[in-house]
Amino acid sequence: MTRLLAGSYGPDNPGFPSGKDPYTERLMKRLAAVTASLGLAAVTACAGGTGGGAATDGGGGLYTTVDALKPGIDANAPINPFNPKGNAFQGYNVQWLGWTKNHLTDPNQFYPGVAKSWEIAPDQSSITIRLHPDGKWSDGAPITSEDVKLSIGLAYTQGGTAYALDPSASGTASDIKVIDDKTIKISQSAKSPNSTFVRGIMETFVVPAHVWKGVLPADFWDRLKATRTPGPQADAARAEITGLADKVISFAPAKDVSAGPFVLQRVNPGEALLVKNPYFHNAANVAPSRVKILNYTGNEQIWNYLIAGKLDSAPFTAVPADVMKRITRTPGNAVVRGYSPVGNALGFNQSKKPYDNVHVRRGLAHLIDRGKVTRIASPEGGAASVTTSGMHREAAKAWLGDGLGALDPYAADPVKAEQELKAGGMRKRDGRWVMPDGSPWKMTIHVPASFSDWLAGAKAVTSQLNDAGIDAQVVTTADYPLYLEELTAGKYDVGFWLVALGPAPYNIYQRLYGTANGWQLFGGTLRHVPPGKEGNWMGGPETLKAEGGGTVNPGELTLKLNSASPAEQKKIVATLARVANQDLPVIQMWDYVNTQFVNTTRFTGFPADDSDTLRLSSGVWLGLGMIKKR
Amino acid sequence: MTAPTIAAGGARATLRRNFWRGVWRVLRRKPSRMLGVAIMILFTLMGVLGPMLYPERLPRDDNALYGPPSWAHPFGTDFEGTDVLALVITGSRYVLLTGLVTAVITVALGTGIGLFAGFRRGRWDSVLMRITDMKLTIPGLPLLLVLSTVWKFSSPLAMGLVLGLLGWGGVARAVRAQTLSLRERGFIEAARGLGLSTPHIIGRELLPGMAPFIAMNMLIAVTGAVYAQVGLFFLGVLPFEANNWGVMLNLAVFGGGALTTTAALPYLLAPLLAILLLTLGIVLVVDAMDEIFNPRLREE
Repeated sequence: MTRLLAGSYGPDNPGFPSGKDPYTERLMKRLAAVTASLGLAAVTACAGGTGGGAATDGGGGLYTTVDALKPGIDANAPINPFNPKGNAFQGYNVQWLGWTKNHLTDPNQFYPGVAKSWEIAPDQSSITIRLHPDGKWSDGAPITSEDVKLSIGLAYTQGGTAYALDPSASGTASDIKVIDDKTIKISQSAKSPNSTFVRGIMETFVVPAHVWKGVLPADFWDRLKATRTPGPQADAARAEITGLADKVISFAPAKDVSAGPFVLQRVNPGEALLVKNPYFHNAANVAPSRVKILNYTGNEQIWNYLIAGKLDSAPFTAVPADVMKRITRTPGNAVVRGYSPVGNALGFNQSKKPYDNVHVRRGLAHLIDRGKVTRIASPEGGAASVTTSGMHREAAKAWLGDGLGALDPYAADPVKAEQELKAGGMRKRDGRWVMPDGSPWKMTIHVPASFSDWLAGAKAVTSQLNDAGIDAQVVTTADYPLYLEELTAGKYDVGFWLVALGPAPYNIYQRLYGTANGWQLFGGTLRHVPPGKEGNWMGGPETLKAEGGGTVNPGELTLKLNSASPAEQKKIVATLARVANQDLPVIQMWDYVNTQFVNTTRFTGFPADDSDTLRLSSGVWLGLGMIKKR
Repeated sequence: MTAPTIAAGGARATLRRNFWRGVWRVLRRKPSRMLGVAIMILFTLMGVLGPMLYPERLPRDDNALYGPPSWAHPFGTDFEGTDVLALVITGSRYVLLTGLVTAVITVALGTGIGLFAGFRRGRWDSVLMRITDMKLTIPGLPLLLVLSTVWKFSSPLAMGLVLGLLGWGGVARAVRAQTLSLRERGFIEAARGLGLSTPHIIGRELLPGMAPFIAMNMLIAVTGAVYAQVGLFFLGVLPFEANNWGVMLNLAVFGGGALTTTAALPYLLAPLLAILLLTLGIVLVVDAMDEIFNPRLREE
């Protein structure tokens, strides 16, 4: 904290060159004197206790927040966006080409990032990106197409939808053409155009070539080309490129050279301090002169920061109802809510009995009162799902329109539940449901122990099922990675599962009819693997009977979403929603509500309810010039 | 032959009577000791009879999530509207049974190994003490965290067994030290001289001298086991049981925000109070035991 106070006003701060702000200097001297007299403890209290400090930093003010993507700041991590622990804060000191709006139906809508504008070919086979003409790095060097090209090369070492090295993968950037200093065109392989390509390209971190150029070998682009040729040399080239991944992740630039509105000045285990980047193309509209990103390791810390009024904004945080009341009592604090393309569901392993029977799944859906479950599990950050469609209610409304009302809502109805369970062959003995052969039915719902809302939700579900005569219990797994590992290995009968992860409809239905349910894309060909193999834990059938006759292969339809026209996509989504509603591979429990917090004491101009910018970090709000000093 | 046997039996009965009279006197001397015994009896009854007082599935009130304390719910309700006191009482059996199993295993293993090593000395002593040293160097909590990924500890016996197997090292070392000291005393020399068997010497001569120490260790092991298992449940590494005290603490803090606002505070305080009371009861009884078994502390 002491270092932070001293350094914030020092000559090494590019945002506040020494001597240009006499008031700041005066105050700094006064602060230094106070620091000397009161000692370390007093300074710590002073630095930690203020959320504003507007008068001490050249008038721009200090903006304090937490980064949802960086729980647990690692002061020793490199300033590297490819490193998961890296001190590169999205929207602040690291930029994508464009910021995804997460539009309900169109995944290709973006706010400008390093790119000022872009043109997408009608068949989405290419994207031409124009950079901000006055865009510069924080060291004054211009941001050029070569920076973007090198960043794409670095992204190839990490893989991803647009940067897959498999020649048969669809949606990869196959041709990168620098048109001029500020224009670059990227095309995807013509054989299999994919609608996720554009988003994959726009979500590329851009890093300065003059800092990173030594990380990739001189013949990198030749090697990349070689990966697309037939023969053993392609495998060798692929191995060489993926072998660079660790080198890229561990690369540590000596200092931060940022394309964003801020540049990292210093970081300690408690916080990261960033100062305004005077070379940022929109610097004139970036209000705060400094940003402090506080460390946190649990939600409770964020609650306490909010109650103390320290944070100017906080991303989505799970909050109990009483804590929410306390947070909103703090002067200036306000809650904004918006759409978040995330839902939560009870997923079934259909290779396990009795969950292979659709009537049993439907019976369970009729037994669960989702409203009550949501009120217990996520009273402030969730809304009970209106039905199971595979989509968040907002996306479902946009895609299905009136068709949403035609889906079975699976309202809590014990009579219907009993009919369905009996249709599924289940029997009732002494008031308790048993398996068709008379053996006991013990339903075990798995959740990771660290997700308190899932845990409370699962407990609420088991309580309701126990009331209805089903012997149900919750079993926790120590952490989320282990949970996913065991779930994927087919060790669980029933577990909580994230769904509706949009905005692209392909991504939404991948959660139900993708790898987790047996559909694998190999060499451009889709195949269905047996339950328990290669990540197929849901174990559903390859084809399903559609309403009105005929069969549907939902995995095939999901894949088609990638290359279909918007009109075709709408038809496919309608079919998949009906199939999911009828077949219930999962029972959707609640849709997440993007509940965020802002404090208008020091800054104004925060996004309103339902703004699409709520799905982006506050660094993006600052870079776009939305936030104004009060 | 009959008369001396009857006389010996009568003497033992008199000794027993005198012992219990002594116990009663020691307990009465300080009211806090009586309180300790009362607390222990209360927890024993809670563990044995508590779960029988409530239905298998505790009732919930959907309109009273994190309800405040009231006559109906002295410690309020939890996130589902279940009475917190009922959760504490029904959850006590797992906690206490685990504590008991842990204590028995800790003491049985620790005493057995310590006595054997101290009495036999030589190679047996070296081997057993090296094993004990190795055991003492293994950090308990990290090992439990690793074990919890492969073993779910759904039964208190399994939990108690693991905690007991991890906790005997200290007792073994201390018992061995006592044994080494006692075996050189005159009465042991005399017993050897009389040609009494080793089991007799260990069982009748050595063990009674160490009984108070062992008994006190046993009670202290109960508190250690309660802390360890509640801690593991609190960390969320063990299976979910809504009425487990550690799970209650976890959900009160991380789900209910009990350290931030007051709504979930009773939900946090109830299991904490139970742990505190249990510890207090054990400490007070240990204080009484110390005087009962240690003649130097007797004030008469």
